[in-house]
Amino acid sequence: MKILVPVKRVVDYNVKVRVKADGTGVETAGVKMSMNPFDEIAIEEAVRLKEKGVATEIVAISIGVAACSETIRTALAMGADRGVLVETDMAVEPIAVAKMLKALVEKEQPQLVILGKQAIDDDMSATGQMLAALLGWPQGTFASKVAVENGGITVTREVDGGLETVALTLPAVVTTDLRLNEPRYASLPNIRKARKKPIETMKPADLGVDPTPRLTVLRVTEPPKRRAGQKVGSVAELVMKLRTEAKVI
Amino acid sequence: MQFSFTSEQEEFRSILRRFLEAKSPATAVRRLMETETGWDRTAWHDLNQQLGLTAVHIPEDYGGQGFSFVELGIVLEEMGRALLCAPYFASTALAATAILNAGTEAQKREWLPQIANGSCIATLAFTEPNGRWDTSGVEMTAISSDGRFRLDGVKSFVLDGHTADLIVVLARRPGSTGNDSLSFFTVPGNASGLARRPLQVLDPTRKQARLEFRSVEADLLGEEGAAAAPFAKTMTQAAACLANEMVGGAERLRQSALDYATLRVQFGRTIASFQSMKHKQADMLVDVELAKSAAYAAASAAAEDNADLPAIASLAKAAASEAYMQTAISTIQIHGGIGFTWDNDTHLWFKRAKSSEVFLGDPAWHRELIMRAWNV
Repeated sequence: MKILVPVKRVVDYNVKVRVKADGTGVETAGVKMSMNPFDEIAIEEAVRLKEKGVATEIVAISIGVAACSETIRTALAMGADRGVLVETDMAVEPIAVAKMLKALVEKEQPQLVILGKQAIDDDMSATGQMLAALLGWPQGTFASKVAVENGGITVTREVDGGLETVALTLPAVVTTDLRLNEPRYASLPNIRKARKKPIETMKPADLGVDPTPRLTVLRVTEPPKRRAGQKVGSVAELVMKLRTEAKVI
Repeated sequence: MQFSFTSEQEEFRSILRRFLEAKSPATAVRRLMETETGWDRTAWHDLNQQLGLTAVHIPEDYGGQGFSFVELGIVLEEMGRALLCAPYFASTALAATAILNAGTEAQKREWLPQIANGSCIATLAFTEPNGRWDTSGVEMTAISSDGRFRLDGVKSFVLDGHTADLIVVLARRPGSTGNDSLSFFTVPGNASGLARRPLQVLDPTRKQARLEFRSVEADLLGEEGAAAAPFAKTMTQAAACLANEMVGGAERLRQSALDYATLRVQFGRTIASFQSMKHKQADMLVDVELAKSAAYAAASAAAEDNADLPAIASLAKAAASEAYMQTAISTIQIHGGIGFTWDNDTHLWFKRAKSSEVFLGDPAWHRELIMRAWNV
């Protein structure tokens, strides 16, 4: 079974992001970038399926600027076999990403696409669902457990009320939740081996997709600063302040 | 001279930093430093199974990864930054290096794969209660009888000596004083006649032990009477390694001082905005960056087996010792009253700075070694 794993290059989760002075977005110049953490979980799950003998090949895909090849290299160091970079300087939106992934799925003919449930930069949580819809494939989103068995795949999903288990036929799309696994750390020999694994580079036009954004960002602002707290002397004073000052009760 | 890390090395550093931040937060350091062993097997297993760190500079022929002292330096710098409590320096930087320098082919094939996969924790016992770092301090005797050797004497300040599975010991022929009578030996940690006692030391994050040998049977490592040259080489390589570990700790302290200064508000503004604070931060940055350059140069020289390594390694050790210690002092000052409390983590690195300053010789000793290396 071939597995496709799209990986996104995002601002590192340790970085405290700053809004650009002109309010058009978040500052990314000179900021540490790394693989979206949910995509790391997706790669890890694919590698585990390969180690179990379920998968035969893992292809890591990234869409974005040329530096996304670094993100693909990270995936290759974790255990993916080869990479595909769809290079564009445009800010691609989920629908464009889903269309490009659909074209790649038709080219690569995988049985499974595993994606992170969302990217930590825009928190859209849309690409996996859009891809499944475009392909007409079943989808198991927010997976906390995945088992490939009897020619299908069972996905345990984290939902508000607890856990929901769905059985999907293959081919299918799965998106990963936080508790699916703990991604491995790539060792130095694997980082070196990853340098020798192939990365195919193409443009959105090669896939017949126009990535021009359809959405317009009006303004990006910092969240309001938290104000200092107040100490209250008694429960009665607390209730009074909640009622008269905060006006929440 | 131009030196920079490759993108591959930078990626490795980034992954390693993330790994150590997850596995060795200050809470883990505080927990382990209170234990007698000083480290924990699960974390050691993760270190070796996930990243194979104990194998980094051991050649592939002996079960290692075949990288150089530059990569080992990166590992140590990140471990110094995280203040990792593990017998890594003892087993990998000291013992494995000594075996590589002194062992026969068969001995390397016997011991190095076990050290590389982390199943054998080794250490190097060379210092004695007299506290000397060179061979003139070696008083332990090795008596040969029917091709077997028995060791008598005391080794002290042995890193992780109370928990190591294998001890590489430096000893001399009875009654001798010169370098031509020195030999390396290997002794199992549970050998009969060996008494091991953990020492109460300043730095609880790096355990040391006193080892008393009473007619302990030992195996010769390498050639009899030929340990002086491999020992000297091991010490210079170890000094380069320690310098890299120290600059990692110094950088961590510098950053924590800066973070605190930009957070702490006094007289309506952050204390980082005061001129005296800026001077201190600038001095710290210069000290740490200079020490880093020296440490990286030493690791590079060790990787190339450069003839200038003894001088460069000593220069790096002296520079890193002073930079780490001064950075630790300044970090406490910048933190003000909270800086020397138990709750604040600075004292953990401060103690490591002090113990590392002395270990393998203080800056004055290393400046003396630079002069000797330059024949001054």
